[in-house]
Amino acid sequence: MTEHTSTDWEPKIVAFLCNWCSYAGADLAGVSRLQYPPNVRVVRVPCSGRVNPLFILSALRNGADGVLVSGCHPGDCHYTSGNYTARRKFALLKRYLEFVGIEPGRVKFSWISASEGPQFAELIRAITDEVRSLGPATRLVKRKEVS
Amino acid sequence: MGLKRIDKSRLGSFLSDLMKERDVIAPVRRGDVVRFRPIESADEAVFDEWNTRVPLKEVFFPQTECLYTYGSDPGRIDIKPPPPPRERVVVGVRPCDARSIAILDHVFASGDRQDNYYVDKRNRTTLVGMACLHPLDTCFCGAVGGSPFGEEGLDALLIDTGASYVAGALTEKGEKLLGGWEDATAEDESAVAQAREAAEKAVEGRAVPDGVKAVLDECFEDPVWERIHERCLGCGTCSYLCPTCHCFDMTDEPTAAGGRRMRVWDTCMFPLFTRHASGANPRPSGKERMRQRVMHKFRYFLDNYDVTACVGCGRCVIHCPVNLDIREVLQQIEKLRK
Amino acid sequence: MSVTDEIREVAKKLLREKQVELVIGYEQGTLPMRTRPVFVRSEEEADRLIWTGWCENDLVGYLAGRDGRTAIVAKACSVRAIVNCIRESRLKREDVVIIGVRCKGILDRGRVQDLLKGRTLTDAAIEGDELVLSGSDFEERVPCKTVLREECLYCTDPEPAGADYVVGPEAETKAVEDEYADIREMEQKPLDERWEWFSREMDKCIRCYACRNACPVCYCKECFADSTSPEWLSKGDALEDKQFFHIVRAFHTAGRCVDCGTCERVCPMGVKLRVLTRKIQKDVKELFGADAGTDLESALPLATFRPDDPDDFTE
Repeated sequence: MTEHTSTDWEPKIVAFLCNWCSYAGADLAGVSRLQYPPNVRVVRVPCSGRVNPLFILSALRNGADGVLVSGCHPGDCHYTSGNYTARRKFALLKRYLEFVGIEPGRVKFSWISASEGPQFAELIRAITDEVRSLGPATRLVKRKEVS
Repeated sequence: MGLKRIDKSRLGSFLSDLMKERDVIAPVRRGDVVRFRPIESADEAVFDEWNTRVPLKEVFFPQTECLYTYGSDPGRIDIKPPPPPRERVVVGVRPCDARSIAILDHVFASGDRQDNYYVDKRNRTTLVGMACLHPLDTCFCGAVGGSPFGEEGLDALLIDTGASYVAGALTEKGEKLLGGWEDATAEDESAVAQAREAAEKAVEGRAVPDGVKAVLDECFEDPVWERIHERCLGCGTCSYLCPTCHCFDMTDEPTAAGGRRMRVWDTCMFPLFTRHASGANPRPSGKERMRQRVMHKFRYFLDNYDVTACVGCGRCVIHCPVNLDIREVLQQIEKLRK
Repeated sequence: MSVTDEIREVAKKLLREKQVELVIGYEQGTLPMRTRPVFVRSEEEADRLIWTGWCENDLVGYLAGRDGRTAIVAKACSVRAIVNCIRESRLKREDVVIIGVRCKGILDRGRVQDLLKGRTLTDAAIEGDELVLSGSDFEERVPCKTVLREECLYCTDPEPAGADYVVGPEAETKAVEDEYADIREMEQKPLDERWEWFSREMDKCIRCYACRNACPVCYCKECFADSTSPEWLSKGDALEDKQFFHIVRAFHTAGRCVDCGTCERVCPMGVKLRVLTRKIQKDVKELFGADAGTDLESALPLATFRPDDPDDFTE
């Protein structure tokens, strides 16, 4: 494997986007040719409620420098209440992860609707900048290199 | 070589000198728990704890061990074993733990079964024991072939006589180690003899009833097993803290371009231990698993290697969260004798 | 009549009248300071049942999966665990006969060990509100309340509400100023210090799963830690795996943990697990106003929602 120097490290951000709102919003950003950093890797889920906290932790464990979960605005969930139960889960998880010492800038939650292309782009820009300033993730990361 | 001695105040510099040429592993206290750890300075070592929480086996058979790493490029696979272990001396080993290594040798280093990971460490380790002056009420080494002043498995044995340590070299390695020590005095020798007598007396007549093996040979189907396991949680405390338990699992951890093959401790107390890929499990409940553990240690191991797979350290007795006391279990079994 | 006698009497009555086939309680252990779970199936065996301040671990995990009715000796925290399990449909109320005990608090073997300073204990008898520690050459009396388990210090109401039978003298409720003071203190520390603390604690773990197996609300048929597909974490004692395991296990008890303290008590390595569970418990109380096991009616906090739930954590 090639060595990466610190100057060419780029943050890897995993974003779990709900199909009906946030994913569509990201798609709209794309067709509108709005520019946002290419550091984000999108995982499409049917609903933010589908996101098991294990996914977020798994992403961190496998070396994601930042994780975003984004869903429909509360009240607008395509499945009526998926994001409501998600909201409770994530409210707890965010506080808990920060409590054990995971940098809060690495795990983010948002509500982005299908029409909010610009907001999505802006959010990715902001998150990427923040994660870049935090540097590569080291906490919870299971060593990937072979030797 | 006769008995040797060293003033307690000088043991530290002896260890520091050792550290110049080899790794030194000793009981180290972190919080409430004492474990064998490599030390950077002599004052990290503690010798006043009755025994380490996790037994000596982890020095030869670590809980997590990389067996090899593998990487691949098109057309080839590279397998890289880990670097060889360094020479090391382990100090502060209780005789029960030392004996346990001799027992583990049957599994990992006997005949044509030579586990090179274990053997490489074994060959590069010198074991220095610390005799037990005050066995705990839970110690029953005497009942399973050991002794608080036992020498089996050790290269040298230290006895704390108050202001000094008196030591006996038991092997060539031990003789080399103690080469620079003064000769022990006659007072030292008599202090040692007295301490040995007191300690051996303390563990006399404890725990394992004679003839329990003969009962185990016959009682596999006995309903007593239904009740014995009932409160068992099926956790790994007893097996992981046991000096002679040695079951393991192997698992691959893939990485970006290859992976690592790991060996990790496992225990027959976990349901997963014998679960088949089909979902079927030949030991479906705690009853079968508890029975298996007792049988393995007190019957099958004896059949295979002529020695009980238990050194009477008492860790399982002290730490089982539900006070499943192996001494009591063996007594219950023995009572089945018709 | 002592609490022990009361429990035995109730147990014998239940067995005699064939109301239950099994009574799960505590009996004397083989070491000082130890009791252990006992499974009583006859009036004769019922004489093994005891109640003392050494009746440590929660017994609720032994209840499920049995035919017929089972009686269980339960202090207030265990009753809350049972209520939680009933809310989750893990247990049916009609299958359980709760012999509630007004517990005065469980004693902490670790704190007693510290007091002993290396001396060997031969007996640790509780006489009223005093603990009598005896060895071959000493006898010492300490007030029980100076060596209570931490979770018992925060127990505001020892009345086993909802039990079928209640034994024991009236216990005082007490006010606790701030049961989460230590969690708040931890929250104020710098992030890196918290990570240091967390990593040091997790380093002690040996993945024995005693915490998980003893916990009354951990009962998944397949624990995430044992899953191979997907394989969330590795076996063995690599620090990242231990961190992962405990972060997730504690989180799985969110809204369900009753702080019975059993996880910490059974841990052979002294890992301070309750700091994690109580942080989550505190947040559940503050964010959602829910207290696990106190309410047979309301929905479980993580299975429900309110349109005005806190939203300040989102971007």
